[in-house]
Amino acid sequence: MNGWLIALIIVAVLGAGGGIGWSYIAREHREARSLPLDAVDFSKLEDGTFHGVYEGGIYKWRTNECEVTVQNGKVTDIRLASSKDPGGENADFRMLYDRVITAQSLQVDTITGATLTSKAYLQAVENALVESKRE
Amino acid sequence: MVQNRVAARRSDADRSSIRARRCTLDATQESGPSVRATQFAMGTIMSYTVFGPAARASLAAACGEIERLDSLLSRFSADSEIARINRGAGREPVPIGPQTHAVLLEASAFSRRCPDCFAVTVGPLVDLWNIGVKSLHRPDQSKIEQARGLVNDGDLILDPLKPSAGLRRAGQSVDLGAIGKGFAGDRIREVFHRCGIRAAYANLGGNVVAVGSRPDGLPWRIGIQHPRDTDRLIGCVSVVDRSAVTSGDYQRYVTDSRGNRHHHILDPSTGYPADSGLISVTVVSPGAMVADALATALFVAGIERGLELLEHYPGTDAVFVHSDLRVSITAGLKHRFQAGQNTEFTIMD
Repeated sequence: MNGWLIALIIVAVLGAGGGIGWSYIAREHREARSLPLDAVDFSKLEDGTFHGVYEGGIYKWRTNECEVTVQNGKVTDIRLASSKDPGGENADFRMLYDRVITAQSLQVDTITGATLTSKAYLQAVENALVESKRE
Repeated sequence: MVQNRVAARRSDADRSSIRARRCTLDATQESGPSVRATQFAMGTIMSYTVFGPAARASLAAACGEIERLDSLLSRFSADSEIARINRGAGREPVPIGPQTHAVLLEASAFSRRCPDCFAVTVGPLVDLWNIGVKSLHRPDQSKIEQARGLVNDGDLILDPLKPSAGLRRAGQSVDLGAIGKGFAGDRIREVFHRCGIRAAYANLGGNVVAVGSRPDGLPWRIGIQHPRDTDRLIGCVSVVDRSAVTSGDYQRYVTDSRGNRHHHILDPSTGYPADSGLISVTVVSPGAMVADALATALFVAGIERGLELLEHYPGTDAVFVHSDLRVSITAGLKHRFQAGQNTEFTIMD
């Protein structure tokens, strides 16, 4: 009988601990999900080296600092300045940074070498149609 | 969005030299602080985006100037000055206006500097390959040799005093396909400057003329079409007061039964489409005509001779795309070129 009681207490303690732990993890996940990562307009970057800090995690245990270099309006380098992330040793942040550098969009004003781009063609057709209604 | 017809403004002198001819498309759009216009001329689509209070007036003048140049320089308009020179080949020179004389003079200078890779008398070969008229087709070798024998810019007789122009031998003809839009681009820049425009760009069928910088002070960003993927850019260049022109084998081409691509950029020394190992060349230069002529010349010349040729044009740079899609840029673009995704590039010092 005592054995069953001890086992029940252990299960209850583990369950309570798991629940508390899960609630912390869920908070972390919610925080990560709600991070706004769309605030940067890559077409309007100023040149220079900029310092960025993110104090993440419920006990700021994911705090990290980085330096971003912008040359001629584009991100050319990102360096990790410091990190408190306990998993940081294994995190492949370099790969992540490289992806940011390569994926920054080539937002352009116009295109050379596109003799008849579909957009230009459609724009011209649209203009013609609008114009034709005026006659 | 406000739509308005662009009325071409011409001087009285201009009126006398051209036949009244409307653009196929001539509409303007206002979108925010900029005004845009699109017109069909020189066999392609021209579009303009202009910022500033004089935008509307400058667009009217720009469209008028393009219309006027088209009527002077197109070899496909029967009464253009170029068509009259070609009809009179082997006979007396014909009187021409100062602008036609200017563009022919510049073209002659280019062909003297690079006789094997640029020719303004390439007309017989262009006709033979049906470039600009129908789809490209591969002519017989004997006919190519015959047409190639007629290509010689030394036979173009220019008299700056009258002014007049003529071709020594019957069957010869002038074609401004490699320089005409560039010449027009420089005129458009002049029009915008005259109107006090500080921020604008024109795209003359793929030839880009960037005036000043963007209204926010940043450089204009000009994308470079990927030569093998119409939905991608191979990169982009950030420029202020520059022109960018691209010549590529992807713009007009046919593929034969063996899978060989025959494009529209002819090597005047062989009579065949150029085969220099390059599939696209973009030239960035203060002058649109220099950029236009050099883009063709460098494409034909290949990278080694092309770099030698570039040395004659200070402030002019190039982006070369090799047949294996490697990209090489000249040192002047080191801080102004941004490669597209999955594109590797090397800087040539």
